[in-house]
Amino acid sequence: MQCDWPLLGPLQWMRYVNKQVKVKAGKDEERRGWLLTVDPVSASLVLVDFKEDGGASVQVVMGHAVEEVEVLQEADEETTQRLQSSFLPAKTRRLDP
Amino acid sequence: SIATSASSETNAEQLPIEQHARSVLRETFLRCLLSMTNKKVQFLMHERVKVEATFGASDIDVLNFQVSDLHTPIGVQKEALIRCQDVISFTCDS
Repeated sequence: MQCDWPLLGPLQWMRYVNKQVKVKAGKDEERRGWLLTVDPVSASLVLVDFKEDGGASVQVVMGHAVEEVEVLQEADEETTQRLQSSFLPAKTRRLDP
Repeated sequence: SIATSASSETNAEQLPIEQHARSVLRETFLRCLLSMTNKKVQFLMHERVKVEATFGASDIDVLNFQVSDLHTPIGVQKEALIRCQDVISFTCDS
């Protein structure tokens, strides 16, 4: 979409959360995954890929290397739920009121 | 790193919303890093260099990663800091 990804800011990054995205970073490297979050400090993207055995692989793409981010599709409710609960420890609630 | 507020045109009404979004994003990111502690990760660096290590931690500005057992082409480094600027991406299976 754009080449100044780190400058977009939290509200713009939020639009990409819970979407399946295609990220171009580094020399003709391309990766896909569900966007879990974007670190507001480094603009790094966290992509999650669910595997058939129930596991997940997490890929962090550093903000400085990002060249292009493209939305492929939105997550359905189940995927969103699975995505957002992936890293929450069992007994802790998120701090968000 | 990046400026605390995205732009000067952010008005007073939008600021709390932006700050809220920022905190939600950051919290999820930190939890994600936390879940990678002591796990094997593969770093993809410039010139398609791939190295493997056990993830330790990141500093708050995400400028360095602390790792253990870094497998380099010339041997295994017991403890190491990796400059984030040198990294394109890293992957962890959980």
